[in-house]
Amino acid sequence: MPKITIDGKTAEVAKGTTVLQAAQALGIVIPRYCYHPSLSISGNCRMCLVEVEKSPKLLTACSTEAADGMVVRTDSDKVKAARRDVLEYLLINHPLDCPICDQAGECGLQDYYMEHSRAKSRFPQEDKVRRQKRRALGPHLVLDNERCILCTRCVRFCSEVTKTSELEVMERGDHSYIDLKQGKALDNGYTLNLADICPVGAWTSRDFRFKQRVWFLKRTPTVCLGCATGCLMEAHHNDGVLYRLVPRPNAETNTWLCDHGRMTYKAVRAGDRLAKGVIKNGLIELEPALREAAGRIDENHPAAAVLGSPWLSVEDNAALARLAKDAIKTENFCFDFPGAQGVKDGILINEDPAPNARGARLVKDAYGGIALEELRARIVDGRVKTVVTEARAAAFVRDAVKASGARLIVFATNRADIPPAAYATLPYACYFEVPGTFVNFQGLRRRAEPSVAAPEGVRPLWALVNRLAAYSGASLHLDSAADALKEIVFK
Amino acid sequence: MENILLRDKVRDLEGYFACGGYRALKKALAMKPADVTEEVKKSGLRGRGGAGFPTGLKWSFIPKDAQGPRYLVCNADEGEPGTFKDRELLLKNPHALIEGMAIAGYAIGASRGYIYVRGEFAAETALLDKAIGDARAKGFIGRNLLGSGFDFELSTHRGAGAYICGEETALLESLEGFKGQPRLKPPFPAVKGLFAAPTVINNVETLAAVPAIIERGGEWYASIGVPKSSGTKLFCVSGPVDRPGVYELPLGVPLRDLIEKTCGGLKAGKRLKAVIPGGSSVPVLTAEEALKVNLDYDSLAAAGTMLGSGGVIVIDDSQCMVKLLQVLARFYHHESCGQCTPCREGCGWIEKLLDRLEGGTGTPADIDTLVSVAEGMTGRTICPLADAMAMPVISFVKKFRAEFEAHAAGRCCPPEAAGKH
Repeated sequence: MPKITIDGKTAEVAKGTTVLQAAQALGIVIPRYCYHPSLSISGNCRMCLVEVEKSPKLLTACSTEAADGMVVRTDSDKVKAARRDVLEYLLINHPLDCPICDQAGECGLQDYYMEHSRAKSRFPQEDKVRRQKRRALGPHLVLDNERCILCTRCVRFCSEVTKTSELEVMERGDHSYIDLKQGKALDNGYTLNLADICPVGAWTSRDFRFKQRVWFLKRTPTVCLGCATGCLMEAHHNDGVLYRLVPRPNAETNTWLCDHGRMTYKAVRAGDRLAKGVIKNGLIELEPALREAAGRIDENHPAAAVLGSPWLSVEDNAALARLAKDAIKTENFCFDFPGAQGVKDGILINEDPAPNARGARLVKDAYGGIALEELRARIVDGRVKTVVTEARAAAFVRDAVKASGARLIVFATNRADIPPAAYATLPYACYFEVPGTFVNFQGLRRRAEPSVAAPEGVRPLWALVNRLAAYSGASLHLDSAADALKEIVFK
Repeated sequence: MENILLRDKVRDLEGYFACGGYRALKKALAMKPADVTEEVKKSGLRGRGGAGFPTGLKWSFIPKDAQGPRYLVCNADEGEPGTFKDRELLLKNPHALIEGMAIAGYAIGASRGYIYVRGEFAAETALLDKAIGDARAKGFIGRNLLGSGFDFELSTHRGAGAYICGEETALLESLEGFKGQPRLKPPFPAVKGLFAAPTVINNVETLAAVPAIIERGGEWYASIGVPKSSGTKLFCVSGPVDRPGVYELPLGVPLRDLIEKTCGGLKAGKRLKAVIPGGSSVPVLTAEEALKVNLDYDSLAAAGTMLGSGGVIVIDDSQCMVKLLQVLARFYHHESCGQCTPCREGCGWIEKLLDRLEGGTGTPADIDTLVSVAEGMTGRTICPLADAMAMPVISFVKKFRAEFEAHAAGRCCPPEAAGKH
């Protein structure tokens, strides 16, 4: 294994390791723009030039393989001068519109300028090359070619990750610009990653633009519930409002995040967000809604059933299982969602749109219950007359309910999710508001952490279950989400 | 001495054959490929495209155990300002190139060759295509060359007009059908070149010299010229000399002889001010330096410049150096591929600085900026285009600073040049 010395620190690295990677392992950060650990090496930005002993020229750390006995300096005057020069070149034709640029605060040009240059520009403002600004491209992005430093990360992302190759560098020299190839549209389902990997303000998110200065954002690590893949992500929020979701790269699941997943936060403050109960089509306060729902369950309780949901956390599913077993005291409950699970597009998006079929199965392992087919049969033949479930999971028994006219009581966060057949709907707090445990398609336990508060009066689903049981005269003793997990065994 | 490359009566196959053409191919095919390479090594032949890399050594870089196809590519994308020697060779002696390629292909084990011709060379390409067809009809190109069992197919490919495609890896990109942009090295083409296979890329003039080397021996070739710069070289002389044109001379001749004897000196009334000896990318020489230097790799390197492509640009005292540099800057700015930051941004910046100096709005500080921008580009990019811009800038300013200062002070040029613009 080659032994390399960088700035006096020596490390033994695997063959094929680049100087940049070796430096990183030694805790030495080499500035870079075009290099991205998940994309091919391009070597065009020239920001990572380092001095290698016996080499007359500075070499790009991103593309130079570490060799045995190699001695590298990343802090010599020559290297510092090269960085200063590259920054000066990058900035001459840059519009310097930081005050109105959304990237300000997380911009590679700003950061490296402060760290490596701070030189006064020698270039007259009026001589700058002008390019197209504010061009909406695809459903999610805006491209400002004037801010672009032509690192080609976006071009490589589209050709290497999504393999859709929509983008290309057009023209050449300092008139180069990024554009769509003829006949292409930027709608590959992963486009918002471009806004993340763009080191400057060239690609910005149409959704996030001008909503919030990034330095005000608070960051909460959480998990994406957009499908069974369970990508790790970070929720960015401020003053109780969510602004965007970005990936938390990890070896197990994801480097990126899909556009669908990134938009899941929109439901939290959507116009149809439920803060009250719904009976038939009328809104009513939570307590009367709970009382009504409990009354309907009780009136025919041997014929009531509970269906869990792969969209709910393990905790909330477990609470529903307790409701069936300990309050309604029925064997008519089901936590069995077979759902095909596997990444269907070769990148991230899972065949199963629900995040927690495997988590629901843990509840089944702990509490038993009947198969989905059996529940459907019991609804159809009238043995089950009332079904309590989550709004989206109601689809699993839609036909059976329709055929028999069974009464449907659902938990929902948004009005759009409520099935037409629902008799009563109870609003619950989503997983940007309350914690929850999920198990992704690989069987990995993932934790949703709350980043904002639920709308006033909206409570976690397990707490609603606790209330429903109380109205039925039973006590489940659920004082926290963790209480619901007592009998669940994680593998 | 007799010309090796620029000969008369060899334009077509009959003429070439009558002068002993394709005998070298026959001889080479009877040798072991490694011996052919060895002979070229012995000749001391160096790349005539500009970099001067030893040709035999380049051929030997093809990995011995490489499986799959190998390629031989001829770089006929002659685009360096002041350079027009390959074009002359293609017109006057196309079969020397074809024979040279068949021999080189045999030496490196490549059964496929491409000639990447500058896009503007339409007539030259047509002529070359005809010559290849004639050679194929006689069995010098195609399957089983002269019954040797060695196949060598050859075709031309016209570029689309970008100077950068003369850089060998940009040429390969273009040949593969992509945008012509230099590749990051390593891997070098000898290991991973055209279609990711081992590839040798040689200049027209280099390959055209190969038949004579094989026929008459490496030692014979090495005896021409001076040590480390053996053989003959084509020099294309432009500027106000009496007889501009392409001349074949042994390496090592004094530049003074080329200008004064071969080209008949400067036109009446003109005085020599400067010479760019190797195509527009190399550092300029003052008249005094130029008249002392010999035209070989080492002498020119010692004088702080390069033999380059052999494009000798003669500059007389009626020319304004600022204006000349502005013209060059416009060219390199236009031709920068735009990949690397220093070149993409620096070339444009240099042109803008020169526009201001030439336009009368420049300042003395602009001259220093000019040099520092050029220095910041030097040696910091994927390919040498940035250096090709920076070298003239640095040398022009260093050697003719007074003219730049005169411009910055609001005066135009030296009085002699003032009438020009």
